[in-house]
Amino acid sequence: MPSPRTTELARHRKERMWMWVQLSPVLAVLTVLFGGALVLAVMQSLGFAPWFGVNTFPDFSYFGALWGDWSFWQSLGLTLYYATVSTVIALILGTLLALALVRTFPSKKLYKYLYKLPLMIPYTVGIALAVIMLGNGGMISRIFAFVGLIGDPSEFPQILKTHYGWGIIAVYVWKQTPFVTLTLYAVLLGVGRETEEAAAILGANKRQIFFQVTLPQILPGIVSSTLIIFAFNIGAFEAPFILGGGFPDTLPVVAWRYFNDADYTLQLQGMATVVSIALIASGILYSYLAFYRRYERRIGRN
Amino acid sequence: MKKTLISLSVTATLLANTAMAQDADAVAFRDAFLAGTATWEDVQARAAEEGAVNLYYWGGSDPINIWMDRVVTPDLAELGVTLNPVRITGTKDAIDLVLAEMGSGRGLGEGSVDAIWLNGENFATLQRQDALFGSFAGMLPNSGNVEWNEEDPRSLLNLRDFGVETNQAEMPWSGEQYVCATNTNRLASEDVPHTFAELLTYLQENPGKFTYVKPPHYVGNTFVQAAVYAHNPDGTGAEPFQSSIEDMGAEELARLIAPGLEYLKELDPYLLGAQSGNALYAEDNAALDGMFLNGEVDIACKFGLYAVATGLNNGTYPEGAEAFVFPEGNMIKNKNYLAIPANAPNPAATLIMVDYMTSVQAQVTKLQFTGMPPGVDPWTLTDEEVQALTDASPGLIGVTQAELDANTAPDTNASLVDVIEATWLEYIERDSTDSIDVIVARAVENLAQ
Repeated sequence: MPSPRTTELARHRKERMWMWVQLSPVLAVLTVLFGGALVLAVMQSLGFAPWFGVNTFPDFSYFGALWGDWSFWQSLGLTLYYATVSTVIALILGTLLALALVRTFPSKKLYKYLYKLPLMIPYTVGIALAVIMLGNGGMISRIFAFVGLIGDPSEFPQILKTHYGWGIIAVYVWKQTPFVTLTLYAVLLGVGRETEEAAAILGANKRQIFFQVTLPQILPGIVSSTLIIFAFNIGAFEAPFILGGGFPDTLPVVAWRYFNDADYTLQLQGMATVVSIALIASGILYSYLAFYRRYERRIGRN
Repeated sequence: MKKTLISLSVTATLLANTAMAQDADAVAFRDAFLAGTATWEDVQARAAEEGAVNLYYWGGSDPINIWMDRVVTPDLAELGVTLNPVRITGTKDAIDLVLAEMGSGRGLGEGSVDAIWLNGENFATLQRQDALFGSFAGMLPNSGNVEWNEEDPRSLLNLRDFGVETNQAEMPWSGEQYVCATNTNRLASEDVPHTFAELLTYLQENPGKFTYVKPPHYVGNTFVQAAVYAHNPDGTGAEPFQSSIEDMGAEELARLIAPGLEYLKELDPYLLGAQSGNALYAEDNAALDGMFLNGEVDIACKFGLYAVATGLNNGTYPEGAEAFVFPEGNMIKNKNYLAIPANAPNPAATLIMVDYMTSVQAQVTKLQFTGMPPGVDPWTLTDEEVQALTDASPGLIGVTQAELDANTAPDTNASLVDVIEATWLEYIERDSTDSIDVIVARAVENLAQ
């Protein structure tokens, strides 16, 4: 008769096997589609493209040419600027909205449906809305011209297509605020209001309650939602392409321009751009997460 | 992502199968057809056994899509050919697909693209990669509708596509001319600029009321080419730009294009949006049409002989829009074509499709539905056929055919287009401080790799 320890081990092994079986469909998709594409992207950016008659693998000149150009760093700056500003604004608005939603107020039920509306509408529609409303020749500029504040719709101050990126930021914030709200609202509901009430009874003011009680509790929600929207904002193409201010473009638009050029050799340069975006984005996200984990360990969470 | 997926599948196939596979029957058919030993009945017999013809074309125009579905598809069905119109957002996607499939060893009879609507650099790419079916155009029954005789100077548009010899590997489908339109409600006819100098003067008085499509989009490239022709230091216009970069050399090209680019640099601070930051260029035709319709710009230039009539008809142009002659003597004219790639899966059915597209009947309905000018040459047709085309035309507004003919210029050689485009990006968009000589030399060197 096997000892209890051996049966325990066998059970463990069986459980682990079963876990891998359960994971395998997802893993297969991730490794083949995502991992395969990533490997090929890296190989192409290093000069492997025999189907265009180019094969100089491994060749770092594409990265050299890209990183050696000052416009790449300008584009990177713009990309990070749009991503960061819209993430921060969406986070602040989303937190305020989530905090408001846990309170009771009239017609709350309707409002709970209303704020989710942008989640269901695609980005492209949001971009079209921005063009129709905010563009020179859009609704607002036409109304201004109609009532005689300006002589011509084109005299309306430029909101879209500038390097300040108000149009891009507006679309991202419009779409991502509900996402942050949804995540944080769920966390807030799970946490309940007892700790806040306890703090209030013990004499904490509103400020102290928020920063010392609520915020640490919803921090995991904040980190995960900002992680997702920031990653999206770095890699997104449509909004900066349509609403951006032209050269220097954001990195995804730069990559697209390389791909779309009739000159085939530029596709490798485009791949180098894509790989650079992936490297930078994963670097930032990794340090963000590492930083957060360190904070969590410091406050005693694991 | 799509690109990486395509490449992924390509490499997978590459590893599995490195030798070029071909369908032996299809190869025999091609050789017989190109040698002239196959009759049209043979083509029809083979076409009856082939699958649907995959015609890849830019699907961004509703009138063209409607014409394809309502007219071309039923007409071809009567000829025993099923049409599968594949609408793509950029012609280059089809070229990518052909080259990727050929790279993975799929030869004639085994690819997925039967015909592509294209011209210029995309044709040059297929030719350079040896990815064309062969010199088929002259063998089609309707090839008589097109002028192939080299002695007739008017045949140039059929024999050369952006200065690249077509070798009858593509069939002319439509003809176009680069035409500018203005809104006469905003800009009186007597103030309309007809030369680049007048345009600059006009913009100095009315800053921001003009922009052009951004190169490397071909519509933008064409504006740059027209400016380069008009400022040719030798005064020979388009003439020297017909030879390839190998024949001309970087130094000579730099000398010829420098005044044109200097002019564009001078024009830049007066373009749309330049007063409050940097100049805004339109990304494509649709964006330019929008700016024109909204009154953001007073002048819009694109390929569109009948663009004003069509635009007024479907409301994409503002009331009062009229075409005008600009720039005098340098209104670039070209044709666009249907090409068959070397790995077409259904070559015989495709030949029947292309032959149908070259018929007067198809050209008339195309003109009627889409306003795309005919690709066939009117002097090869009978009087009734010419009359049918005239009746179908939406008509010219603001200019006469004689004015257009008198100010025609040919396109630039495709190998020069790449260099001029790269120079524009560097010198105008990126505000490079290097001299044009240096930029051109660098662009030529990069492209030669």
